[in-house]
Amino acid sequence: MKFVTLAVTRWNAFWFAPGSAAALGICRALFFGTLLLWQWPHDFSPWGAYSAVFWMPIWLFDTLGIPAFAPEVISSIQAVWKTALFLSAIGLFTRPAMTVAFVLGVYLMGLPHNFGQTQHFDTLVVFASGALALSRAGDACSLDAWTASLRQRGPVHWPADDWEYTWPIRFVWVAMALIFCAAGISKLRHSGLDWIFSDNLALLLQRQQYHISDGEPWTRWGLWVAQHPWIARSMAAVSVGVETLFPLALFSRTARKILVPAGLAFLIGIRALMGPTFEQFMLCYVFWVPWQHVLYKTRLSVPHTAVRGVGERSAAAAPADIDLAPGH
Amino acid sequence: MACCTVDVRRAFVNLILVGLIAGSVYDIVTDQEHWPFSQYPMFSGAWKSRAFTWLRLFGVTADGREFPLEDNRFVAPFDQSRLPKSLRRMLETPDREARIKAALPDLFTRYEHLRQNAAHDGPPIVALRLYELEWTIDPNAANVERPDQRRFVGEVRP
Repeated sequence: MKFVTLAVTRWNAFWFAPGSAAALGICRALFFGTLLLWQWPHDFSPWGAYSAVFWMPIWLFDTLGIPAFAPEVISSIQAVWKTALFLSAIGLFTRPAMTVAFVLGVYLMGLPHNFGQTQHFDTLVVFASGALALSRAGDACSLDAWTASLRQRGPVHWPADDWEYTWPIRFVWVAMALIFCAAGISKLRHSGLDWIFSDNLALLLQRQQYHISDGEPWTRWGLWVAQHPWIARSMAAVSVGVETLFPLALFSRTARKILVPAGLAFLIGIRALMGPTFEQFMLCYVFWVPWQHVLYKTRLSVPHTAVRGVGERSAAAAPADIDLAPGH
Repeated sequence: MACCTVDVRRAFVNLILVGLIAGSVYDIVTDQEHWPFSQYPMFSGAWKSRAFTWLRLFGVTADGREFPLEDNRFVAPFDQSRLPKSLRRMLETPDREARIKAALPDLFTRYEHLRQNAAHDGPPIVALRLYELEWTIDPNAANVERPDQRRFVGEVRP
């Protein structure tokens, strides 16, 4: 019974500690804004033109009976989606915009996976969009909040810190941790320590130069790494270590300082040496930035240029806000 | 009343949180994939052989010259990872010949459509061929354009 009580207390402390509306608002604006910039040149409509022989539906589409619509329909869906991403970023009609961005995003981002291969660059984006769609991320740093203050003829004030502004950020943290950890476990499950101590990574780095990826490697440095077995094996060990241990970043501030940047460096390394396009995944790193402290420090150093209200409450709460995760 | 609303809201959020964790853990434990949940198996196999095979499309120009469509722009929105795997899955079915025969015209049409819209600078083609290429990995990847073997799989010539 004591264990259950402790577990519930820790659960609530992790997910539902009071958090800054401004921090979540900044995450929302940056996430949807950068996602829109990334997706802007992407056209999903050609998927609707392929014949049925290419259609190999994944679980979600198969279960719900969702088809690949005609190119014109997909084109319309993506126009609405990109508009919703824009509105979500600027925070206008934020709640409905984020809901539309999530629902249509699931369709559009999921669609290519029905054509023979499930890739994994966008799952975190789907989870983050879903969390934001259910959140109150438009309460600050949004045109909705600004127009509401105009109606009240007062200065812009963000709402008081609340648990509603914490859980969406932690949701993305946990989703990212689960993804990294799952990838590490998969390597150990299917290959064991051979993944690290054999020539596996060296061969992988060389093979990726043969035009077999969704993106060409940014560099040919992988070939150099592959010719130095101890470097390749060290990189393999670090990769599996960072992936498998990433959940520690949820509970330990020290681990977070190491694993979060290491995870980002790992993704950049994959892109540079091997090719797979993890840019969308990287966008979700905005959720790891302690924005309330950035605002706090900005306000202290440039007090006269700060928008009134920005960081006021969070500044007061800053010391306690630094790390709300249990285990400290 | 407000307190009750908060309780309902928090219960709902808890349900979402448990859903995320349970869905992810289920796929990890059972080694399955239910997108967007997944066990993230990419690159999890240990490579031991220096030889590997890959399916690749080749365009055929009017003068009979063949060239590989190895740039992702030639096959967009597919890419050089997804398209070969999609074609491989077709080849693993009992009606593989019919499937490949149906698939290649789509890819030919797409190549020409992209070319006519200046999405790539490839030459006009009169035919599209699918080959299975086999390489022995070179430490400097110097043989990318010279695979050890090339096995013809199919062709479309509209």
